[in-house]
Amino acid sequence: MIAMSFPQWIRSNSEHYLMCDAQDRMAKKMGFNPPNRPRGLKERFWRQLFVPIYRLMPWSMKKTVMQSLPGSHRKSWPRRFFRSPGS
Amino acid sequence: MKIVMIGGGPGGLGAAGAAKGTDPSAETVIYTQFEDVAYSPCGIPFVHGKEIDSFDRLFLATKEQYVQAGIDVHYETTVESIDLKNKKIHVRSEGDVSYDRLILCSGWKYKELDIPGQDLDGIYRVKNIRSAMEWDKFLDNVKTAVVVECGPIAVEMVSAMVHRGIKTTVVDPNPWPMSEAVDPDIMEPVRKDWEEAGVDLRWGERVTAFRGDKTLTHVETTSGVVDADIAILGTPKVPNNDLAKAAGIKIGSTGGIIIDSRGRTSDPDVFAAGDCAEIVHGITNVPLQGLSGSHAYAQGKVAGVNAAGGERIYQPVHIPWGMLAGEWMIGGISFGETSASAVGINYICGQTTGITRARYYPGVKPITVKLLVDPKSRRLVGAQMVGGEGVKERADFLGVVSRAGLTIDALASMENVYSPAIGALNEPIAIAAQDAVMKLDGKV
Repeated sequence: MIAMSFPQWIRSNSEHYLMCDAQDRMAKKMGFNPPNRPRGLKERFWRQLFVPIYRLMPWSMKKTVMQSLPGSHRKSWPRRFFRSPGS
Repeated sequence: MKIVMIGGGPGGLGAAGAAKGTDPSAETVIYTQFEDVAYSPCGIPFVHGKEIDSFDRLFLATKEQYVQAGIDVHYETTVESIDLKNKKIHVRSEGDVSYDRLILCSGWKYKELDIPGQDLDGIYRVKNIRSAMEWDKFLDNVKTAVVVECGPIAVEMVSAMVHRGIKTTVVDPNPWPMSEAVDPDIMEPVRKDWEEAGVDLRWGERVTAFRGDKTLTHVETTSGVVDADIAILGTPKVPNNDLAKAAGIKIGSTGGIIIDSRGRTSDPDVFAAGDCAEIVHGITNVPLQGLSGSHAYAQGKVAGVNAAGGERIYQPVHIPWGMLAGEWMIGGISFGETSASAVGINYICGQTTGITRARYYPGVKPITVKLLVDPKSRRLVGAQMVGGEGVKERADFLGVVSRAGLTIDALASMENVYSPAIGALNEPIAIAAQDAVMKLDGKV
């Protein structure tokens, strides 16, 4: 087992906690079972600090942050099929 | 030219066949750690559930057929390392093997849980067909099962356990099944069916230990103890690419191998395809990993053609998906409301519940369609569906709509097939699109 890189760590954590927050809002809106409340320092940091800051960012800034991570999107792909929201 | 594939799943087989088709003189060699290639692992839960009567039916081709096609498959072989500089791989029991082009198709593995007791007998990771044959015999004597986290394979396994009459408990820290991909309203009919079938559903609860003396007898959770003769792991799929990482191939933020649209990795003579690689999403331009077998097969073909000197491009994905969940079919494309909301994509949701055939025709089933639309461009950003039938064809269609960039207005005025036995007068996609248009135009 090889340890995950920093970009992997940041992506997996941000994805997980953004998803928890979205599940919470969706569960309230639709009347379903919500996810567990954040417990411990790590969960509180991501859910109560990172998520609100991310949600305040405009889409263009969110996109810039996402695009700055290393990945296949930085290699050559046919551009004509990208349909960015708001474009 | 010698083209070597590591992995004999859909990516590896697609790559080998396409490479041979592009350059029939190419020497194509597949190394797989398993006893077989060319079977459908996705069918395993349905044999366990007795919908399919034999594992033999999951095999798609014989070993002889690969020999006849000129594809040299090395079974039960482990590749231990890759030497990029000297273009060699080291194979246990064979030594160093040279290549001109290497295609990595090493697939996926289950995300491991960091809890005690994982070496006990009775913990099942559904993947390999030979192992599934043994587990199927084991299941004949199983009275109680616990499904640990409810990803797609686990959803199918819950239904399989119900069909076999096994008392089943689902323990999942998430709030509903497949909660990272599917909206709660879409999963609700499935969840209700499980509840009615007597499945003990424990959402928001985590397994903390597997317990037993050599063999599993129970699991401990954050809220108590669950008796279990078998634990079925349904944790998320993660890329199986330790070999590529150790060789110095560049890895992206998903943990998958970085590739371009030709399947080429950071090394010009090494390609990658399937679940070990990451693919770009057609709406967000963000890389993704862990798609379906059909994606892996198509990516393998692209990598195989290009590795053999041909030219083929893989397009960014819009991810049409679908599956059986109990008595229901679920599916969609790209984003659901939950995932769009998590990423921060603004959307309007058009929704309807319609029918799949004429209302009077025997076998008519309900189907709910949700279409997510970008308010500015009026294009689809996602869709989710649940119904008794007809989900796959609609998901495929919406995938093309999304890729082509058609607007919701085009869908709202689409023509549709009407024939009592196969389609209702009103197509649910058109009605959901009309609902979205009304909302976009401020008429609702």
